Amino acid sequence: MWGRFTFGPSGSTELAEVSGRGPNRPCGATVMKYEETEIRVRFNEVDSWGIVWHGHYIAWFEVGRMALLRKFKLQPQDFAQMGYIAPVVDLKCSYKEPARLDEEIIIRTTVFKPTKAALTFQFEVLRKRDRKLLVTGEETQVLQALDGRLLYYIPPDLQKKLQNLFNYLEVPVSPA
Amino acid sequence: MAEDLVLELKKLIINTLKLEDIAPGDIENDAPLFGEGLGLDSIDALELVVALEKTYNVFIPDSEVGKKVFRSVNALAEFVKTHRA
Repeated sequence: MWGRFTFGPSGSTELAEVSGRGPNRPCGATVMKYEETEIRVRFNEVDSWGIVWHGHYIAWFEVGRMALLRKFKLQPQDFAQMGYIAPVVDLKCSYKEPARLDEEIIIRTTVFKPTKAALTFQFEVLRKRDRKLLVTGEETQVLQALDGRLLYYIPPDLQKKLQNLFNYLEVPVSPA
Repeated sequence: MAEDLVLELKKLIINTLKLEDIAPGDIENDAPLFGEGLGLDSIDALELVVALEKTYNVFIPDSEVGKKVFRSVNALAEFVKTHRA
């Protein structure tokens, strides 16, 4: 299942119920599709205050990312088969409202088209019942060869596979 | 000429990486750009590689080459001088 993100000119993320697409959105905002993945808050994810412990949202980002990448055979094992790994070098997470036990959660995942040899994913975590935005996040991965070299360019074989992902999400080029 | 290129590269580094608190004179010609010295990281390297390609049409494929090229501004200038189109 997928929908769309709207990214404002400042790079901030706002929740959007989008019916239109493309450059006609107000304020120079860019519309991007996203993948939606659903989970339910488990008992072991809730802390003594009765809310989801902050670190679990990062694991949920991973759930969303894997669900998206699985469609394009771009999971870590696929990268490794091609001779690459993609370590995370930057992670941001902004908490707005807590999730609670047994709530149904939606994870929205999208990716920016790279202007350098790195992939930046963006996430929104929402409560399914009322579509309340709970958490936003962003994660950047670089590319390494299996011998440990940091790759300064995305190799053509990987670029080809990534293009399918970008086409699916109708990804615009990253803002400078 | 070599001095001009060194200054040009320092400005390119500062502008590309938005190092607002650093002036060209603050970057030592022989100091490492990554780790110690300027303390740049892997994302900085990727940004710089793109800027160097755009500006001088030089290609640095990976960190194996990068660790030599980015050893210092002098090393970078030597690489650009030799490889620019």
